[in-house]
Amino acid sequence: MNEETDVLAIEARGASRYYTMGEATVRAVDNVSFTIGRGEFAALLGPSGSGKSTLLNLLAGLDRLTAGSIEVAGCDLSTMDSEALARYRRLTVGMIFQSFNLVPTMTLSDNIELPLRFAETPRSERQDRVMELLTNVGLAHRASHKPTELSGGEQQRAAIARALANRPSVLLADEPTGNLDSRNGQEVMTLLRELNEKMGVTVLMVTHDPALASRYARQSLHMADGKLVSTVEALR
Amino acid sequence: MIRQDLLELAARNMRNARLRNALTTMGIAVGVASLVAMLSLGIGLQGFANHQLMKSGMFQTVFVSSKQDVRNLDQNADAKPENSPALNDDARKQIAALPGVEEVVPEVRATAEVDYGSKTNFTLVAGLPPSARNEEALEKMKGRFFSSANADEVLVQLDFAKKLEKDPESVLGKNLTIRYAERQSGDSPGSFSIERKEKQFLVVGLLDAEPFGGMRMSSRARVFLPTQTAEDMNLMQPSDTQQLVRSTSGSRTYAMLTVRMKSAAYAEKVEESVKKMNYSAYSYLDATKSIRRFFAVLDMFLGIFGSLALAVASLAIVNTLVMAVLERRREIGIMKALGASDGDVKKLFFAEAATMGLIGGSLGVAIGWIIGRAINFGTNIYLQRMKMPAENLWTVPLWLVAGAIGFAVLVSILAGIYPAARAAKLDPVQALRYE
Repeated sequence: MNEETDVLAIEARGASRYYTMGEATVRAVDNVSFTIGRGEFAALLGPSGSGKSTLLNLLAGLDRLTAGSIEVAGCDLSTMDSEALARYRRLTVGMIFQSFNLVPTMTLSDNIELPLRFAETPRSERQDRVMELLTNVGLAHRASHKPTELSGGEQQRAAIARALANRPSVLLADEPTGNLDSRNGQEVMTLLRELNEKMGVTVLMVTHDPALASRYARQSLHMADGKLVSTVEALR
Repeated sequence: MIRQDLLELAARNMRNARLRNALTTMGIAVGVASLVAMLSLGIGLQGFANHQLMKSGMFQTVFVSSKQDVRNLDQNADAKPENSPALNDDARKQIAALPGVEEVVPEVRATAEVDYGSKTNFTLVAGLPPSARNEEALEKMKGRFFSSANADEVLVQLDFAKKLEKDPESVLGKNLTIRYAERQSGDSPGSFSIERKEKQFLVVGLLDAEPFGGMRMSSRARVFLPTQTAEDMNLMQPSDTQQLVRSTSGSRTYAMLTVRMKSAAYAEKVEESVKKMNYSAYSYLDATKSIRRFFAVLDMFLGIFGSLALAVASLAIVNTLVMAVLERRREIGIMKALGASDGDVKKLFFAEAATMGLIGGSLGVAIGWIIGRAINFGTNIYLQRMKMPAENLWTVPLWLVAGAIGFAVLVSILAGIYPAARAAKLDPVQALRYE
């Protein structure tokens, strides 16, 4: 590993994702190149349909590149098969969503145990790890509740705990406050910043709110029509 | 994912769609039940037939006669009676020495007069070998078998006992006298004289059914004595005159010897050896071969019909799991986003299918067992009404239990192939977008 990749969490080079819709080719992500340093808090901005969610899915290893390459924490996603990508999603990145995506029929602790099951964490260590994660997001007392019994903010915090279960180095957040009121949104953002600062987790957050981006992110990537139009470094 | 997690998640998923999974599982159970009921009936019938036939002693028995005999059993055209040796004591010893042979007994039967109290009856008396003790006809006898091979004891046919006493059972423990013709060696070779003799016997047993399943001539006899006793009495037999006329030799010959094997497995070899010695031999082994073939075909058909219900049930599994895939699209997407591999998702659906198969299969075996029990119960009520003894027509061997459950699991897993592949192929991006 050279010095450059050592300090970079994410490096995209000419990353592209095209869809064919009948006759037409939709360039959802079109030749995007950028880097995000380790331990950085970055925001991905742009209007609906600008391709920011598609880019995030590419970074999460949920979608495959049409062209170009993406390297996350030293893993070259363009060369990985589906088994390796699953491993990558399991261990290297954590993902949170606008709609939380907790499994509604599972309790919070069962939801958080899910990635530990996939990672084949020894059963004896799991309960302690689950409680540790829930304590970190202030939900230890809600361990046996179902997601529907919780407020939106609590659900998103639980989702963050779940995303961090296997200690990923990169956290990808898709509009994490999009479904929350301002107070709960504030709470979630504060938690993300805490994780970024205290645990050194690299955070890349998709949002369409420039104010949110400028308040929390050191680097803002702006997208439009699948292309990266500008990169703004906040001076803080 | 480790197996325990897989099973826990599968169990959770099944609990979440309890009614649907329960109905599908019941479908499998009914399928397995019909399979088990059909096959156990087939196996039971086969066992019943085998039991009846084996108990008759037929398959452990080879009948040997000289080809010189007019009652030649060998219908072969090229049988040369003149070359066939006489069936004498030497031959008897030779046959007794063959491997697997338990006993070689002559057929002894003669007409005799039986005195019982003030009553006198003219009837057939026959020898009964010690091995007859194990025969089915004697399973339900009253009293006991001969105390030894040459005891002065008799078994009496029930019908005959009814002639002697109003209550046939009261003849047990009483004496009767048999008046018979004794053959004595004559002064010149090939000749003999006949003398009237009397002998007292103790009645020890009452026979309801006929020994040898009614397959032998001696079965027509009404009074049976131990073969050895009968031989020692030198009963004058019908074949003796025949022998005299043909004047083969001075020595005593037998009309027919009954060879008993330790098990039916020896019958074929012994029959062959005896034929090589140039005697006529006959056994019922050939008949069993076609019976066994019949049951193999019957079992196959019963199995096919039983499997039809299971085939229908497997479609229900496909249906249930395809619905589960559609319903759990989002959940599958979440699991993939959290790092579940395609293989993990596939295995999870297989685990669910297998669980349904296992529970359905176990339940089905239990139901099938109850159905079989009911059939058995019903048949026995019918048999009883027809004044026939109860029979076990239905058997569930352990291999059928294990096999049926295993088969149910296998069929379920096969049914899970398509839904599992579909779930594994699900695009997580699409699945997560799906509301």
